[in-house]
Amino acid sequence: MAFLDNSGDIILDAVLTDTGRLRMAQGDGSFKITKFALGDDEINYGLYNKNHASGSAYYDLEVLQIPVLEAFTNNTSNLKSKLVTMSRTNVLYMPILKINAHNVTTAIGAGKPQPKPSAYFRRRTAEGVTATNGFPEGSNAEDKTNIDKFYVAVDIDTYRGLSYYRAPKNTEGAGAAEHLVQSDVVGAEPTTGVMEGFQGSNFGGMIRVDQGLDTTEISIAQGLDSDLRESAYIVELDYRLGRLKSPSANTIKAVNFIDDDNIASYFVSQTPYFSTTPEETNSETSPDVYNNFNSTNPQVFGNKKGSGPRGTSLHFRIEASAELRQSTYLFQQVGQVQDLTTTYGASGIAGLPGAIDTTWDGSSGLIAGDKFLFNLTEKKLYYIDTTVRVIGANTGYRIDIPIRYVKLA
Amino acid sequence: MAKSFKSLLGDDIKNTRTLLHEAIPITGTISSGTYADNNIKTFSHGMFESVYDYPYLSSSANHIFDLSYGITAQASSSAVTQVAKKRNIYNQMAQVLFGYDSNGKIRSFDSDGTLDDDAGRMDHCFFLNFSRLLCKDEIKKNSFRLGLFQSGSTAAPDTLVTLGDYDAGNEFRTSPAGDYGLIFSSSGDSSDNSKSVGLLFYQAGVAVISSSVFQSPWSPPGTKTTPIHVAAGLAATLTSSIAAAQKSLTITQLADGFRHRLYDLDFNNTIELNSTIYFCRVNHNEFNYSANPTYATASKLVVKNQATDLPITYITTIGLYSPDNELMAVAKLSEPIRKDPNTELTLRVRLDY
Repeated sequence: MAFLDNSGDIILDAVLTDTGRLRMAQGDGSFKITKFALGDDEINYGLYNKNHASGSAYYDLEVLQIPVLEAFTNNTSNLKSKLVTMSRTNVLYMPILKINAHNVTTAIGAGKPQPKPSAYFRRRTAEGVTATNGFPEGSNAEDKTNIDKFYVAVDIDTYRGLSYYRAPKNTEGAGAAEHLVQSDVVGAEPTTGVMEGFQGSNFGGMIRVDQGLDTTEISIAQGLDSDLRESAYIVELDYRLGRLKSPSANTIKAVNFIDDDNIASYFVSQTPYFSTTPEETNSETSPDVYNNFNSTNPQVFGNKKGSGPRGTSLHFRIEASAELRQSTYLFQQVGQVQDLTTTYGASGIAGLPGAIDTTWDGSSGLIAGDKFLFNLTEKKLYYIDTTVRVIGANTGYRIDIPIRYVKLA
Repeated sequence: MAKSFKSLLGDDIKNTRTLLHEAIPITGTISSGTYADNNIKTFSHGMFESVYDYPYLSSSANHIFDLSYGITAQASSSAVTQVAKKRNIYNQMAQVLFGYDSNGKIRSFDSDGTLDDDAGRMDHCFFLNFSRLLCKDEIKKNSFRLGLFQSGSTAAPDTLVTLGDYDAGNEFRTSPAGDYGLIFSSSGDSSDNSKSVGLLFYQAGVAVISSSVFQSPWSPPGTKTTPIHVAAGLAATLTSSIAAAQKSLTITQLADGFRHRLYDLDFNNTIELNSTIYFCRVNHNEFNYSANPTYATASKLVVKNQATDLPITYITTIGLYSPDNELMAVAKLSEPIRKDPNTELTLRVRLDY
């Protein structure tokens, strides 16, 4: 898209979006405009210099010189950041959304395992590795290699493969089989960073997004002002690839709308997706809980020494679409493929971080019963990188969460 | 409660209708020389030819008009080349543009616009069918001007006359295909309908020109020594009259002769714009904060030093939303507009249909 001519009068360049045209064509009355919002996508507020030596007239000089792009017709490409109405003018801090990717070791509830708070997929290495990203040292130490993606295994074989990969042979506990067993045995701890993106699953990780003030200048005990708290979230994802799934049950959430680009929108305002739990932990009588990285509500705002107030949180899982579960067509169309036969033993394999364990072959079996049903060396690795967008319904703040759908086939 | 949307009230939405006019100038060389006829598309059926604004094999070419020729059933058919096709063309155009009489017979074109007599009946007509790309919704009345050479060879045309729908803004008629006006050779003739030489159908975008506008001598393209379209054994001479040409020449040849005598063509088209205007009223206490990721560093607003400072935002985009929060339309400002609690704005977004 070109820039708009800003040499003369202020003009408006208005277009219908593709969704708008679609609804007009449908002729069912769904094309109806009832509200408006304002956006500032092009603005970099970092250019606002409130300490300019020449005075306040120069504070926004560079901001006002920013050229504006023509309007996009793709509905999802516009108004990525909206202006917000708040009646009061004395707000100095505004909440953001942040992925709560802290790995939590405490089992949540008894019986069958529940998904743990979200964590990026990483390869687990030997114990005692120096902590990164604020994670404590010890048996849950993470590899320093940050992938910063959530992995969605589209079938059970892939899930087992990733679980094995994540906890390679002879690194922890009783041996190679342990983590594989833990990953899909009732009552055991699930493998973090990998979501079970197939039907009939209660295992695997989930994604959690927290709202709060990412500052140490305001105490967590002060809490988040009520007019800044999110009461609902909008989750947008590519409907060709996945569906929004409950964090604690095998329930696919009903989609609210699918646009012409196959972007599905889900409006989330109730449990188990929506939670006010983080704020409820803001007890001055137990201040230590604020910084407890191993609690069920690990803090992501501020730092260990001081944590900012928190709002609500969002929890969800992703289930792969039937197309991804049953076919490699979309993987070949919009993703990438890696032939493990040719790269087996290589130092790096696309789609999987780090080096793969070359000492194990599937034919020998890991545990009794041969739960790991395939020989990794004979497989191809398919993966699609995409994002899931989470938008705060009140403040309009949004984040894009990186997702990788993976299939070994 | 923080919010990002503001509802549009009844007074904020206004529907309007606007007529836009575009000037359409077509120089005669486009139809007769600039592209060495590579922009003229002929067809094996020979019932009309199409004129493009560029060699038509190029994807950049736009179709601008078609040319054809027809005669009535009452006209003499003796020794007339392609008589059936000429009649078919005439009848087709007449039934669409002029309709039927009380007996169900196709009406003939009538140059004076009086349908209940035979006076002014046009038996031999050239048809200029303008493409919708040019006409849009209709041709603006009293804007049509067609410069034609009435006689001479195509190499040396003579007697330039400017046909037009003079005074059609005040006087026009209706037909099954919409309004039509009379075409005269000059503005002075417009007071006498019997001097009309053709009809212009505004909504249909068709000009019907009587062949009587041409005078002798009249020839198809080419000279006596290098005829282009004249069949073997058929003389194309300067002494050939339009009457003779109508008999001996095919539709394509007559169309070629017409376009080589076209000096220029101008008209204004009309576009009916139905618009909805949305008045997006931004009050002083609205939209003063932003969800832009750069708006805050460590959650602290970058435009404020302390809580008592006024919040500031910059508007670049206006989104129009459906009740279920889907973006229906988007408008962009050509430059950012500052918004703070001391300012109020009304942003006027117009959507045309």
